[in-house]
Amino acid sequence: MFIYEKKLQYPVRIKNANPALAKFIISQYGGPDGELGASMRYLSQRYSMPYPELKTILTDIGVEELGHLEMVGAIIHQLTRNMSVEDVKAAGMEAYFVDHTAGVYAQAAAGWPYNAATFAVKGDVIADLTEDMGAEQKARVTYDNILRMCDDPDVIDVIRFLREREVVHFQRFGEAVQSR
Amino acid sequence: MANKNECTYKQGTLPMCAPLALGTIPAQQSAEPAYDKDQALVKGTLFPGLDLPFKDYVAAGTLEDTPQYELMALDFVTQELALYLDTHADDKEAFETWKCFTELAKEGRRRYAERNGPLKRSQTAMFDSWVWTDEPWPWEFLGNGGNG
Repeated sequence: MFIYEKKLQYPVRIKNANPALAKFIISQYGGPDGELGASMRYLSQRYSMPYPELKTILTDIGVEELGHLEMVGAIIHQLTRNMSVEDVKAAGMEAYFVDHTAGVYAQAAAGWPYNAATFAVKGDVIADLTEDMGAEQKARVTYDNILRMCDDPDVIDVIRFLREREVVHFQRFGEAVQSR
Repeated sequence: MANKNECTYKQGTLPMCAPLALGTIPAQQSAEPAYDKDQALVKGTLFPGLDLPFKDYVAAGTLEDTPQYELMALDFVTQELALYLDTHADDKEAFETWKCFTELAKEGRRRYAERNGPLKRSQTAMFDSWVWTDEPWPWEFLGNGGNG
């Protein structure tokens, strides 16, 4: 059972809309190393985990990733608020707009929709936890790349936070591999 | 544990003989040192040893002193300590700290809800009407002069 809380883990308060940034940040919503895939990966891997501390770490991190999904959704929503058709065209966002208007859709920056093939559930403790460590590093690099292309301090602040969470989660999965 | 005394908080412990063919990450030695709660939230980690920012993208300071951010900071410390405890269940001191912050967060959540509306749907029971639908929702921020 999940119980919703009407707050974010970290504040998202983007003063200026900027659809051009939303075009690539959306990859962390529904892209190959995004937060949707992260939460589904960890929450799905729990069932076949043999040890209690591993079920626990996957639950606790998987739930946090759902919170990050909501934060990335908030970033996309705020960057695309009050868009005019001129704004859409100026940002080169026509392809997204024609399919989703200003809705937040789970897709990669390159346009393909969220795909469960981007993560694995192997049902093996070493394989799954090693995948999780790789996944945290890939998400970290995606956030590095977003920071490289971002010039809005309000956006940078949130991305920086999300990136740091990948570092911490990597450490915890690494400790979990060796817990037995 | 090998050479524990030679390690600083920026390093971790490894078994004397780490196993072959298994990814080996040094285990964090201790939940200390730790940032204070406001610093932890803006940095994205409670632990200075894990604070590894991209280039010079360092947190710009602390957040405004509002009840919402206060609660976010308390919740963040409990989350960081929970993940730490998941892999360090024997750390009694960290468990006590987690209990203390969990109590503060519980109290903070109640105080916040009284003033600003329910965070959990069940907290709507504190009010005279169905205020669960009241805006803003967490993803809403209207920019300059907006809500949120």
